[in-house]
Parts: sequence; structure tokens; C-alpha cells
Amino acid sequence: MTAILPAKSVADRLTTLFWRKPKLLLILLITPPLLWLGVVYLGSLAALLMQSFYSIDEFSGMVIPEFTLKTYAELLRPQNYDVIFRTLLMSAAVTLGCAILGFPIAYYAARFARGRWKAVFYLGIMLPLWSSYLVKVYAWKLILAKEGIITWAAEATHTSGILNAILSLPGIGGGSLSTSYIGMFLVFVYVWLPYMILPMQASLERVPTSMLEASADLGATRAQTFRTVILPLALPGVIAGSIFTFSLTMGDYIIPQIVGNSANFIGMAVYQLQGTAGNIPLAAAFAVIPILIMLVYLWIAKRMGAFDAL
Amino acid sequence: MSIAVEFRAVSRHFGPASAPVRAVDAVDLTIAEGAFFAMLGPSGSGKTTCLRLISGFESPTAGEICIFGENVSNTPPHLRNVNTVFQDYALFPHMNVRDNVAYGLMVKGMPRSQRYAKAEEMLALVHLDAYGSRKPAQLSGGQRQRVALARALVNEPRVLLLDEPLGALDLKLREAMQDELKSLQQRLGITFVFVTHDQHEALSMADSLAVFNEGKIAQIGTPAEIYNHPKSRFVADFVGSSNVLPPALTKQLGGPEKWASLRPESLRLDATGPLRGTVTAIRYLGAGHRITLTTHGTDIAAILPAGHPLPETGSTIALGFDATALHIMDQA
Amino acid sequence: MTSIKIIGSTALALLTGLSPALAQMTAVGDGEGQLNIVAWAGYIERGETDKAFDWVTKFEAASGCKVNVKTANTSDEMVALMNEGGFDLVTASGDASLRLIAGKRVQPVNTDLIPSWSKVDPRLQNASWHTVDGVHYGTPYLWGPNVLMYNTEVFKEPPTSWNVVFEKMDLPDGKSNEGRVQAYDGPIHIADAAQYLMFHKPELKITSPYELNEEQYAAALDLLRGQRALVGRYWHDAFIQMDDFKNEGVVASGSWPFQVGLLKSEGLPIGSVIPQEGATGWADTTMLHVDAANPNCAYKWMEHTLSSNLQSDLSVWFGGNPVVPAACTDGSGMQTAEGCTANGLDDFEKIRFWTTPVANCSQGEGACVPYYRWVSDYIGVIGGR
Repeated sequence: MTAILPAKSVADRLTTLFWRKPKLLLILLITPPLLWLGVVYLGSLAALLMQSFYSIDEFSGMVIPEFTLKTYAELLRPQNYDVIFRTLLMSAAVTLGCAILGFPIAYYAARFARGRWKAVFYLGIMLPLWSSYLVKVYAWKLILAKEGIITWAAEATHTSGILNAILSLPGIGGGSLSTSYIGMFLVFVYVWLPYMILPMQASLERVPTSMLEASADLGATRAQTFRTVILPLALPGVIAGSIFTFSLTMGDYIIPQIVGNSANFIGMAVYQLQGTAGNIPLAAAFAVIPILIMLVYLWIAKRMGAFDAL
Repeated sequence: MSIAVEFRAVSRHFGPASAPVRAVDAVDLTIAEGAFFAMLGPSGSGKTTCLRLISGFESPTAGEICIFGENVSNTPPHLRNVNTVFQDYALFPHMNVRDNVAYGLMVKGMPRSQRYAKAEEMLALVHLDAYGSRKPAQLSGGQRQRVALARALVNEPRVLLLDEPLGALDLKLREAMQDELKSLQQRLGITFVFVTHDQHEALSMADSLAVFNEGKIAQIGTPAEIYNHPKSRFVADFVGSSNVLPPALTKQLGGPEKWASLRPESLRLDATGPLRGTVTAIRYLGAGHRITLTTHGTDIAAILPAGHPLPETGSTIALGFDATALHIMDQA
Repeated sequence: MTSIKIIGSTALALLTGLSPALAQMTAVGDGEGQLNIVAWAGYIERGETDKAFDWVTKFEAASGCKVNVKTANTSDEMVALMNEGGFDLVTASGDASLRLIAGKRVQPVNTDLIPSWSKVDPRLQNASWHTVDGVHYGTPYLWGPNVLMYNTEVFKEPPTSWNVVFEKMDLPDGKSNEGRVQAYDGPIHIADAAQYLMFHKPELKITSPYELNEEQYAAALDLLRGQRALVGRYWHDAFIQMDDFKNEGVVASGSWPFQVGLLKSEGLPIGSVIPQEGATGWADTTMLHVDAANPNCAYKWMEHTLSSNLQSDLSVWFGGNPVVPAACTDGSGMQTAEGCTANGLDDFEKIRFWTTPVANCSQGEGACVPYYRWVSDYIGVIGGR
């Protein structure tokens, strides 16, 4: 009797080869996705970056493929600067809103929901994600309209005064919720909330119960436990979620078109500039802004220790 | 000597009232101040729930829990002067060792310099003086355990609770830590209550222990009492892996018709011995051999010291013992 | 990169006035069996949306050419699809048509092969958006004005001026127009403002709302800044605008006959008018791809668009005007003389059709503000600058 079975086929030889040199298999497996990442992903990013260093000829509207910082200087024009500032502010507000609204939900789901309730929770969170994004936004437009449900409800409950007071807030108010920044904020928060809740819930779920018990055991009140243990440990999830909500809000170009007062956001500006205007360099420069902002954001998050608990 | 912890008919039930799971069922228990008290039992026997009832992570469904005479049944954990060393240590991964140890003082509002000084003192006590700036992830299992200990002790608790404190350590470390815990307890003089499923650990460390079974205390006493005089089959079986003899066999061996226990190490090869049977297994233990004998349908284990001639598997042998070694149990 | 090249070459061609000379078809042979068209939504109906509106089935039966339609939502999408290829025809608007010609994506059309060409409105036969240096690059399809849509409960009499959407005022119901009017959310709306100024501020000497020098342009932007305070939300999607008229309390806005017709058909108190200042408008052209695989079917279709019930029914369906004026009255379809009047047929002269503003205009080389600046400045205006 021999100790080793004879290699029967090419397949046997291949598996032997892979068994002896596991790295070879790894390389074979990850090369295609790496190529995809490198060429398609980073390549298109590089192309975008390149475009932003071109400029458009003031007279003919033609793109001049020569290196210049002129296009970036254009971003500092008041109307463009406004767009960036407005987008940034909205993204920050939406992120904050999602975090504040999402945390208790995520906390409940991670700590207390069990069995069937957990399933109900997941369904509840995911269900809005399955329906069409456009349908949701249009539905919200109707809800927020001047003659929509909210106005009606306010009238029925004699709280129109409160609604009008909210709408008369300078800057963020407007003729109706549907044409104000407040309304846009509500829609954004609704649409992106799942992207905040899910990573938060995942990170909260990874905080062992014993950690919370240890904190209480050592004399911490619930508030202290929340501040010194839960929040720091959930921070990676909050940061992950905020990266989603922040960047999704910054890049969105549909909601500001349907809800709000038509003032431009970065996504809309990119859409218009690359489309009808043919001003690809400025569109590219605008598109670079969210990337830069996200890099700064990640850097700050890292400094704050968001990734220490990873 | 005063009483550190007292349970008065304490129950903790889970699930619906119609069909409750009785994790702890009408337990009466007193733990003396300064004791090193062990709660021993298989998993699910209620010992951990009892510990959590003392720390406050569980509240009793019925009964009263007193700590130093004060009824704490409805006191939240952070207001109880007890501290816990968790099974998984539960060190805060985002804080360094010093901050972990100083945590309890921090939440009580002690100024930073003061609490760091105390933390360092406590780290010195557990021989981790140089590790204050490390993160828990950079420590070995034994070191984490000491940090968890220091973190609990820095609060000067009157009762220290330890949940399977040595479970995650390897054998050698476990023995070293057993000695250390024992000496620490003696030095500090505070009451230690620890939960374990390891009878050796319980017997060697505790000065009194309670054996839990199905939510009730099966027996409570000193290690020697429990080891030598188990009250029930369960205790005899669980503590020291004694042989449990059915009443018929006990009678045959010259005792009353009652359940009895017979420790394996008290048996010896004796051609005239009353226990005759077939050897079904032989296991090498290092310091000796453990042989299993089947007699009248009962498996009897015997530990034979090294150096004795060994019977062969399948052979028929006889075992003898001192009459005093046969312990008649009160309960079934 | 490709898109840049195309935009670049478009601009270059526009700049130098070059037009490609391409061979034309000389005879229409048998159909190839199919035809692929890029069209606006609602432009090519085969009775699937509404049984009454069908101008494809009979064509398919008669010509043996199966019609496949790819709908596009913007002019840019149309241009992109034509650049990709694989299509025979496109219903291009005034902005896309010149780009397609300059980019050599479409070929000249031999009007001799289209018997019904003679029936086309003479004012459209040589329109500048499809005719370059006397060469025709397609057959007109449909045109329409950007009308002033209003709520008839608020306006018992039709408004006579665009001032209801440009100037702060009290509307006939006694309430201010603030937050109750809308404007188009596209830079081309600057042309509407310019046209308004053309009438009210003759001293600016605006000759075309699409050709504005710096001073005229600045005046138009000022007017629009004033309008910003009146407009709650600008519109760019026809259905969102209709929704805003229904739910958002909007009572007046520039709009298309399409929305007017649909809202009226829902029984809402809606009317439309072309006020004294005139209106801007759109005019679309069926254009033939330079590499069309099915040219015979394409020619048959172009003839069909001018000769059948299509013109009449399409103008009812979409709310525009037939390019064959006879279609209003000849009973070939559902359109009537009154319908054409309602859609602005008689206002042709008042309508200034959409074209892309370029720097080199009738005022001189580089004298006019080019379109890309319209885009960025209009972004600023809507943003409150």
C-alpha cells in the first residue's frame, strides 16, 4: 500500500500546487478585483481630477486641455462658493439629524430587540430602501406641499401658527415646507437614515453587555456610561454612518431639484455644468470638492479617535 | 464577625410567569465578612445569576438581598459598594490601562492627578507598574486579568465579585493566579465571592463554598465538609468526582441501604476486597492511573498511585477500602 | 474625453461657420424592415398610452418598417445617443440640432425625396436650426410656444403681460404674487427675461433674447434677481410643475401647452396665454443619422410625419403646433383651427425659438455672452446672488 494516492488529473495537480503555494491562489483570486479597483475606480478618479485642471475658453466655450488653476479659482466666485457652502451646511445638518434620530433606534435594535422584533426592525429599516428613491421623494413633496397633509394636519389641530412660525424662520423657511430648506432637510434625513442606523447598530451590537455592566459596576450612571463607554465604542459606526449620510447628501442632485427652493447644490451644479453647459472642467472641480471635504472629514474623525476602538 | 452578603429566600425567575425558568429558586445564603466564598456548580445551576444578583445586574423576583445589613434589592449597580471582575474582564478597549483602572474614580469625580496616583498604586499591587500607558489589546490574558482586578479593587469595595476569574487562563497561569488571588484577599481582608465550575479551584481557594444545582443550593460548607461529607448524590458526583453507590451496593458493602459515596483515591487493589468487577478502562494521569471497574452494573473509578502493578483491561479484580471512607448520604 | 472632443468640435464648427458637405440620398428604395428613432417622450405614440393616439401602426403596415423608439429626456441625452450610433432618426430640439450638424452626426436630407415637403410651413422650411448654408438637415416635426399658464380662478381675465411673474405685485385676487408664481429652472429662462426687457426697456436695444451683450445681459439678470424673491421653487419637470399648481398654491408661470392641456383635462381651472411681450418657444426637427442603417425607412417616415394624421394628432396630444399648417383644418386627425390657435399657431411671429447663445453673434465677434456663462450666472441668481 502506498501512502500517497497518485495524482489523477490536471485538477489534482492544480489543487496540489495551490495547496503548496497558497499565495499563488490568492494572487489569482484578487487580481481581477484589484484591476477593477485600480483601472476603473482610480482611473476614472484620476481622469476627473485631470479635467478639473483644464479650463474653458471664455469666448468660445471650448475646453482648453492645458494645466491651469483657473477653474478652481472660479469656485471662489460668490455663486459657486454659495453652492459649496450651502451643500456643506445641509450635509452637516442632515448627518447630525440622522445621528440624533438614528442612535436611539439603533441602540434599541442592538440592545433590546430580540427574535421577531429584530426581524421587524430590519424590515422597517430596509423597507424604505427597497422602494424607488424617486417615488419616496415625490411622495414627500406631496406630504410637505402647501396644500398637503402636514398643512392639513396643522389646520385640523389648530397648530397652523406653529407651522407658520417655523416657515417664517429666516434663511431656512419658505412659502411651504416643500419649498424650504427645512423640508429638504426632512426628506434628506428620511432618505438617508437607514445608512446611518445600520452601521451604528452594527457597532453597538459589538459592544459587549459586560462592558456596560462593568461601567455601572464601577459606579457610572447611565449618562456617564453613555458618554464614556457607549459613545466612544459606537463612534466607528457613527462615523461610518456619517460618512454615508454626509457624502450621499453632498452628492445628491435629485432631492434639491424636487424639494426646496431650487437653489443649487453641488450635485445639481455638476449635473447642469457637465450637461447643458458643457463646462466639464468646472463640473470636475465641483466634483472634487466633496472628495476633498470627505478626506478632511476622515482626517478629523481619525484625530478624534473615531477609529481607536477598531 | 458580621455578615457581608445575605440572601433571604431569593428567587430570580425568567420568562413567562406561567412557566418560569427558575434560575435561582428560594435561595437562603449568608456570606461572612472577610470570607473567600466560592459558588460552585455546573453551567445553568444559578451560581452566576446569584453573583449578578449581588452586583445588581439582576433584581430578585422574590426575596431580599442584604449587603452588610442593608437591603439592596432595589438598588442599581452603580450605587452598590461591590465591584466585579468579569469573566471576559470587560476592559474598555478605547482606554489605556491607567484610565481603565482609574475609571471608577473618574466617574465619582476624583481629580485626575489623584486618581492616577491611586491607579498606579493599584497597578503596583498587581505587578503591572510599567503598563499604565498600554491599551488592553497589547496585554496578555493574565495581565488583563490583573488589570480587571486592579480596576475593581481601586474602588475599595467591601465585597469583590469574581465571575469565573481564571477560566480564560492556561493551566500554569491559573495556578499562579490562584495563589495570588488568595494572598491578595488575605492582605486586603475584603470579602471575595467567586463563581466557578471548576471544583478543584473552588476547593483549593475558598474557605467556604456553596454548591449549586438547578437554582438551589445543594450544599454549603467548608471545602473539607463538602468534599468529605457530600450531602447528596449530586454533590458527591460533582465535587471530587466521587463514586456514587446505589443503596443496594452500599448494603452489599456492609452499609445501610442508602446512597453512599466513595472517593476514587480511597480505593486500593486488594484481592480480598469487597468490590469485584471487570476492568473496562485504564487512564494514565501522570501521578497515577485511573481505572474503571464495572460491578453490578455500576461503574466504579479508582485512582492507583504510580508504581503499582496495573491490571489489564478486561481482567477481573477486587478493590478494598477503609470502612470510614464509605460516606452514607442523607439525601438521595 | 469623447464628449469633450465633440463639444470642442461643435464649438469650433459654430465658430468658423463650417458645415460638412455630405452626399445626399438620390432615391428612396424599398424599406429595410425596421427603423430606430430617438425621440422625446410622447412624441411617437402607437396607441399604447391612449388608443385614440396612434400614428405608427398604419405606417408600419404600409411601409413594412417596424418602428423602434428610444425616448430621451434631455437634449444632451439625445446627442449622446446619436454619438453612440445605432439609430436612424432623432427628434432634435433647437439646441441639439446645430450640435448634431456640427458634430457630423446627421446627414443632409434631400427634400426632393419627400413629396410633402411642400406642405411644410414656409416659415419653418429654412429655419436656422436645421438649415446650414442652404442645406437641410432634417424635416420639421413640431413647434410650440412657452406660454404663460395661469389659474382662471385668480385671473378672471387672462393676464396681458409677463409682469405677473417678473414684478412684485398684487394679483387680481388681492393677494401678493410672492411665492405664488414660478419660473423655468434652466439658464434659458434668461432669454425670457431678455424678451420682457426687449418690450419694456427699448433703450437696451435688445434685438434677440439669445444674443445679449454684457449690458443687456446684466439687465436681464437684475430682473431675474427680483423674480427670485417671488418664486418659491423653479420648475424643470413638467409633472412637478403640474403638481405645484395643484398642491403648492402656484397660480402663474411660464409653461408648455403640454401641462396646460393635461391640467385642463383634469378639470382644473387653468388657462394659458401669450402675453403682449411675446414668448420663447421650441421647434423640433426629425434628423437623419449620418450612418443610418435604414435610410429608406427613414425617408418613408419623414414623409409620413408630414403627410398623415400624425401632425394633427401629435399637436393635440403633445400640445404643440403642426409644422404642416393644413393639419389644423384638413381633418386628417383630431386637431381643429381653434386648437391650433390655442396652441399659439397665430403667434408664430411673437415666438423667438430657442437657440444656443454663442459669443460670436450678430452684434459681432465675441460680443455676446455665451451659454456657459448663462449657466453659472443663473445658478447664482437662483442661489440668491
